[in-house]
Formats: sequence, structure tokens, C-alpha cells
Amino acid sequence: MRPDHDELDDEIRGHLALDLKQRIERGEDPAAARLAALRQFGNLALTRDSIEAVWRPGWLETASALAHDMRIAFRSLMRAKGVAATVVVTLALGIGANAAIFSVVRGVLLRPLVNRDEDRLIYIRQSAPGVGNENMTFSMPEVDDFKSRIKTVAAFGDFSTVPLTLVGMGEPRTVQAGVVNGSFFDVMGLRPALGRLLTTRDDGKSAAGVAVLTYRFWATTLNSDPTVVGRTVRLGPGPATIVGVLEPSIPYPTETEVIANMVTSPHHLGATMEKSRTHRMTELFGRLAPGATFEQARAELAATHAAFVHENAKDYPTRGKVELTVSKLRDQIAAPARTVLILLLITAAIVFVIACANVANLILARSVRREGELAVRAALGAGSGALRRTLLAEGLVLCGAGAALGVLFAQPLVAVVARYAARFSIRALEVTVDSSVVWVGAALALAAAVLLAYVPRLPSTSAPSGFGLSSGSVRITPGTSRRLRMFATTQIAFSFVLLAGAGMLLTTLVARQAANTTYDLRHVLVFDMPMPATGLSDPKVLGVYEESARRIGQLPGVEAVATGSFVPWRDAGDRGSGINVRFTAEGYTPADGEENPRARLRTASPRFFSTLSVPLIAGRDFTDEDRRGGELVVIVSQSIAQRFFPGGEALNHHLNVLMSQPLPRRIVGIVADADDENVAGGPTLTIYHPIQQMGFGGRLFVRAAGDPHLLVTPVTRIVRALAADQPLERAATLEDVRAEVLSPERVNAFVFSGFAGIALLIAVVGVAGVLAFSVSARTREFGMRLAVGCAPRDLLTRVLSEGATIAVVGIATGAIGGYALARVARMFASVQLPSAVAVTSAALVLMAAAAAASLMPALRASRVDVMEALRSE
Amino acid sequence: MARDLGDNERLDLLQGTLDMLILRTLQWGPQHGHGIGQAIQAQSDDMLKVETGSLYPALHRLVKRGWLKWEWDVSEANQRAKYYRLTAAGKAQLSREKNRWSQLVVAIGRIMNPSANEK
Repeated sequence: MRPDHDELDDEIRGHLALDLKQRIERGEDPAAARLAALRQFGNLALTRDSIEAVWRPGWLETASALAHDMRIAFRSLMRAKGVAATVVVTLALGIGANAAIFSVVRGVLLRPLVNRDEDRLIYIRQSAPGVGNENMTFSMPEVDDFKSRIKTVAAFGDFSTVPLTLVGMGEPRTVQAGVVNGSFFDVMGLRPALGRLLTTRDDGKSAAGVAVLTYRFWATTLNSDPTVVGRTVRLGPGPATIVGVLEPSIPYPTETEVIANMVTSPHHLGATMEKSRTHRMTELFGRLAPGATFEQARAELAATHAAFVHENAKDYPTRGKVELTVSKLRDQIAAPARTVLILLLITAAIVFVIACANVANLILARSVRREGELAVRAALGAGSGALRRTLLAEGLVLCGAGAALGVLFAQPLVAVVARYAARFSIRALEVTVDSSVVWVGAALALAAAVLLAYVPRLPSTSAPSGFGLSSGSVRITPGTSRRLRMFATTQIAFSFVLLAGAGMLLTTLVARQAANTTYDLRHVLVFDMPMPATGLSDPKVLGVYEESARRIGQLPGVEAVATGSFVPWRDAGDRGSGINVRFTAEGYTPADGEENPRARLRTASPRFFSTLSVPLIAGRDFTDEDRRGGELVVIVSQSIAQRFFPGGEALNHHLNVLMSQPLPRRIVGIVADADDENVAGGPTLTIYHPIQQMGFGGRLFVRAAGDPHLLVTPVTRIVRALAADQPLERAATLEDVRAEVLSPERVNAFVFSGFAGIALLIAVVGVAGVLAFSVSARTREFGMRLAVGCAPRDLLTRVLSEGATIAVVGIATGAIGGYALARVARMFASVQLPSAVAVTSAALVLMAAAAAASLMPALRASRVDVMEALRSE
Repeated sequence: MARDLGDNERLDLLQGTLDMLILRTLQWGPQHGHGIGQAIQAQSDDMLKVETGSLYPALHRLVKRGWLKWEWDVSEANQRAKYYRLTAAGKAQLSREKNRWSQLVVAIGRIMNPSANEK
């Protein structure tokens, strides 16, 4: 029924024709009649527009009115650029932080895995909380027990990590390899990106060695070379064919570069692996049987576990309190990140609250200035809806711009937060900025805009006297002033909590970085020089090691060379490297019920201690005479000597390290404690063995006179010349290693300091805004004060003290609130209270910031021109 | 033809009454916009004058509500014109408006002439 444009024209034309005809019949002059008819009709365009308006849907009407309002809002905001820019930037920071963190949360906690039917995929873990072992993994007999008894799990996939030497693909190097059974990929529900994956035909001792590359390794190290499939390389002791590339998926439990079948790892074929129930190194995954629920599987697994623990009680010490946990793989992967991400979300929310408080403040101040205008409009008949719409339009323009800027700002922030969250969940590595950022940004902007429209009071017709209708001037009411101050105080309080938290992280970081380590960090260059599976018992391998060391020692600029088994800090995380052993000391008897003491087991070549600048306190260093077959000797750290030998007289006494063949070893030297597992060192129990007597090493240490990095190439050349397939990798100075080890903490401190910095910035703007407004609204008051003889200096201190009051009240509120919050949080998680230093410095920083923020308005107050101020109203 | 009254003597239409007057006018049969305006003016002895700026939006509003229908025909000026016709719903609406109008007249009359009612 709705008429189109031409139809309306026809109708109007028809009307005019009828009118004209009537006028001519009445005897009017045709030309005059035509004009009269047109005049009579009135405004043609307006009439047509109001006819068309009848047919427009109601929402369109409102929308076009809003668009009109937005145009006006935009124009009026352009006239208040300072306020507008502040609001936009503040919102952008708040919205950007939230959007970034939300996209990480979404990526890590909410997005499904790529694995087929990922909700049927379970992860099984055995732990021994009694001895603090969170993941003791499984031994093959345990896995076999599950496989033979469980009905609710269709298939199990086992996965263990071993370092294997890879030759034939670029430089010879050690790769982290996953060794899996044939059903692993089927259980995980993963597909090949190229070639094929492993199947049950690759199981067994007689199968050929085959390996699958992980996508990341293939894409980054091999530049996505499609010809690798089918290539034969040497992996571990024997040849292996690369049969395929795995699709991109989340590596769990550890990231590996290749995934190979059992044949490639001699260790997996050995009797220990197959028969020993306590030889645990396998992670276990399962896929629920059709029809079985997760709960059923969990119950059956727990029952079976309890049964075989009971049957083999001797292999499960009661002290360990061995238990089994079953979880969906997705939850398992996300679990450690949950707390951190929720913490981050709270932080981001706090920043958003501060930002909103600030924006509300500025808008409120602005709307107070506009009360005159709003009152006039209300008096002219604008309903409260129309007035709210004006304010809403302004809010939308501001928040829309803020959101756009915030989404831009979110992009770099996602990278930072993802890197941070990757410490807790590998899923974070693949988080990118997705469209959710935009949606969250838009939603937050909308929420902020609506909120802003409802902050200012509207002029009400019932109490018109409160508004300066006649003068249109600014009159600040006590209520408005109180609200402004409240918002500013809130900001300070929240900023204080964030600053104190960030201060805590920073002081910890600084303390760690400044911590004294025993080592000379600058001049020591370290390499990983992995041994072949045979170890140093092979004279040829030993020859390579010794000859390399000799030749490197002759290089110009090299002061000393040594080999050992452990790069300080860097090797602390890797499983199997940080070997701990129990020992007995001659003349020391543990108290009743106490276990034999534990110490770190390291190997060291002669000159190891002088290379790393670890002081020798008593006795001698290892020499070339401390070989296999010679007298068994050890060097111990000072703490061992002091704790287990009366008067620290350990030299020439014997130690018995409880390993496969416990033999007494004579202590020939005592060195200073050197904590190679924690950057902030403490007393350390370490037993060093001569590298040849223990038969394992794999780490090369070179002490340089000048810049150690210059030695990397010559050292590599020497080793390659001696053995072309000897891997030599991860060259770094100890200083680099420490920086790398501390980098997560640096990111940690950086993220929270970033948030705290943003909060501080916003709070400063907030305080400055409130005071600036209060000063400009009281120009007349200041003028009068000056006129009656008040010194400008007094006005300055007056305004400054107003700023200080806001800061002090805010800090006090923040301290009380933060303390209460920490107490509450302590009930659920281990929360540390920030140190006095952090709290005090946060308070000082805020006070200084508040003072700086009040300075500008204070100066303006003291420079008020008396005459102008008095004339202004 | 009716007298030509000056603008000052004409009455403004009460808000909401225009719809009712249009419906009433169309009771006599289909008519085009010009004719409706003329009829209202003539029937009120030239006391009421309907501006085209309000007449046409009102007509379209009534069509949108389903009380009127339109059809195209050739007018006495020998030109295409849109003729409006009352629908069944329009007739029902007219009788409702009539009732409300007489109630309103009585109510207003009581206020304006209280003595007349007491007699």
C-alpha cells in the first residue's frame, strides 16, 4: 500500500489541478490563479516529507533523530577538544585492555580444541602429593594394566619425551622428540597436514623407524618444505623416515619437534622400560568408548588404579599418597591459566572502572556547564527522552571513538598478554586478535555510552529554580561537587591497589636481578654439546670431547675451557637434567624417621670451577688423573661440608651416593655454594663428580677474556672439524641465560606495571580534570577572595590541598579495600601481601602524581584576574 | 458559495478531530483530497479550513491504519487523482469517534456552562 515517490507527485499535482480549475471557474486570471494555488498549498517539500514520514517505521524515526543528535554532538564536541580527547583516550585504554584480555581468555578457556570430538578426549595423570610430585607419569606395566582392564575407554595413547640427535636435516642437533604408540594419533583425533601419521603398524621392535614432524617445527625450521616427506634421516641411533607433518594442534604435555615410533628410542625397547613398574616416563591419554560417559570412565580408571596400587604395594610408598586424576584434555590444558586469566580480567575490569569513573567525571563536569542549555531546551518543551537522547548521542560519539582507538590499542596488547599467558597454558601461543575483540570493544563502548547518558541530572520542571535558566551560566551545586570528588577518589583508590601490586612484582624482579650469584656471568660462554646415547664410555666420543676442549683452549681470547653436565638455571626446568640423589655421609647418622639427605648430582671436568669463577674453599680441583678406574672422588659444596661433617672438616672423608652401585667416594675439595637452579641463590647441597667417572656431561663452558659472543663461530668450527655430526647448540653467556630465565617474570612485572601505569595516568587526568573544573567554576569566588586581600599564594595552596585531600582519602580507601580484598582472596588462593616498600612507594607515586595534577589548576586559580572574574556574572 | 472569512475568524482544528472529520466526510462516498478539504470547509460554513500540510499526512495515516483505502480515477479537472474510500474498519472507527466526541462536548459544556446544567 505504501506509495512511491511518483505516486505522491501525482497526488499533489492532481490536487493543484483541481484547485486551479476551481479558481479559473471563479473567474481568476489563469496566471494569477496558478500562483495562488501554489501559495495556498504551502511548502510542497515539507508536505511531501510529512506524508512520507507517516509511512516510515517508528524505529527509523528515532534512529534518524539520534543520527541528527550525533551530528550535533560531534560538532559540539569539536568545540571542546580537550575534554573529548581525554575521554576518548581514557576509554580507549580501558576498552583496549579489556578487549585484549577477553580475546586471550576466549582463546584459552572457551575455544574448542582442533582435535576430533575433543570432548571425548581425556588426560590421565598420576601424582604423589605426599612427596610433592605433581606429575609422576606412568610406567609401561601401569599403562598395560589400564589397557587390559578398562572398558569405558576405547583406546589409550601414550607419549613420552626424549631428546634424540637428529642428523640429516640442516645442522646436526638434539631435538625434543615425542615417542608414541601407534594408537596415539587416533586417540588424539589429529589429522596429517601432509603425508600420514603413525598407526599401529608402526608399533613393535621390528618396525622401521618412522617420524612425524610437528607443524611448528616444519613451518619455522624447515620453511614448510613439502619435500621432507619421504626423506630418511638419522634419529637417535638409527635411520628413520619422515612420513608426514602433523596438523597445527596444541602440543601437550610438552612441545616437541618430531613425534616418532618406539623403535627410534633404544631406551623404550629396553627391559627396564617394559618390566619396571617404577620406571615412569609416559603420559597417558584416552578416548572415551562409545556410550561411556566421562564420569563412568573416571570411576573405572580410579577403581583400576586403586586395584593395581594395592596389588603392587611395594612400588607405591604410602608416604607418597599416590593418586589418580582424570580430566578432559581441554580442561587440563586450560586449568593452570584460569587463575591468572581471571586475575588479569579483574585487573582489566578495575582499569575499566577507573576509566569509566574518569569519563563520568568529565562528562558530569561538562554537563554542569550545559545545564543552562538543557534547562532552556526543557523549558521549550523538550521531553526528558529528547534530552537523554542528546546526552546519549554525545556518549555514543565519544565511546565509539574510544572503542575504535581501543581496538587498535588491543592488537599489541594481545601479543603481550598472550606471551604472558603462554607460561600457564600453551593454548595462549596461538591466540591472535580475532573479531571478538571488536565485539567486546563495541559492547563495552555501548555500555559506557548508556552509563554516561544517565550520570548527569536532568533539569526537572518541578524544580526549575536550581538551574540557571536565565543566565545560562555555570553554578556548581554541592551535590555535583561531591559526585566529582567521589569519582576522583575512587580512581585513586583503585590505582593504588594496582600500583601496590605492580610494585610488589617489580621489587621481586629487581631483587632477583640484583641477587648475587657465585658465577662470573659476563665472561662465561655456555654450549649444549649433547652426548650420543652411548655416553662418554665410548673412547671415541670422549676423545672428541677432550680434543675439542684442548683446541678451544688454544684459541686467542679463551682463558679457560671446561665441560660439565648442567648449564646453571637453563637446565633447571628440563626433566632428567636436574638429577637429585640421596647420599650418606661418613660420621653422619640421620635422626630417627628422617630420610637420608638429598643433594644435586653434577659432573665437572678439571678447571670447571675456575672457568665459572666458583671459589675453591679447601682441597683441590679435579685433575686429568681422576679418570674411570681411578680412585672415586667428589667435590662438595660448602653447605654439605658444614651440615654433615663436624666443624666442616669434610676433606678426605667419604660420601656414599645412593645410586645403582653405592660406592664410597672421597671428598677432595670444597667449593662455595652455587645455586644453579634458582637465580636468587641460597644454601645449596651439591656433589660434583669427575665427568669421566660418571660418564655423562654434554655441556661446554668457555671463559673468554673479551666479548664471549665472538668465540661462538671459532668454537663451533673446531667441534665440527673433529666430529661433523656432533651437535653444538644454544650458545649463550650466563648473563643471557639469566635474562632468559627471568623473562617470564619480566613480562609478568611488565604487564601489571603497564596496567598500573594506565591506571595512574587515568587517575592523574581525573584529579586534574576535577580540580580544573572546580577552579573554573569558582572563578568569581577566587576573584572576590583576591579583591578582599587574599594572597595568590594562599589560593595556590588551597587548590593544591584539595588535590592532596582527594589523593589521601583515595589512598586510604585503596589500602583498606586492598587489604580486605587480599584477606578474602587468601581464603581461595595463596595471595602475597605487597611489602612495605611497594606500598609506600605506590602511595608516594600517587601523592606526587596528584600534586602534579593539581598544579595546573592551582596556578590558574592564583592568576585569576580580579576585575574580569567579578564582571563575569 | 460560502462567505470568505478572514484568517483571524477561522477556528483552529482541535487536535485529533481532523481524522474524525475526514471519516465523516467520506461517509458520503469516495472523494479525493482536494474535495475532502473543500467539503470540510463548506460544511462548516467556512469556519474550518484544513491546511493541505495536515490533510494529506492525515489521509495517509488513516490508510496506514486500515480505515481508508485509495483508488486512482480521473478527476473533474481531467487529471489522474487519488480517491479515498471508507473501509469497514473505518466505518466502525467513525462511530466510535462520534460517541467520544459527543461525550467530550457534554463534558466540556458542563464545565463551560455550569448553570445551564443545573436548570
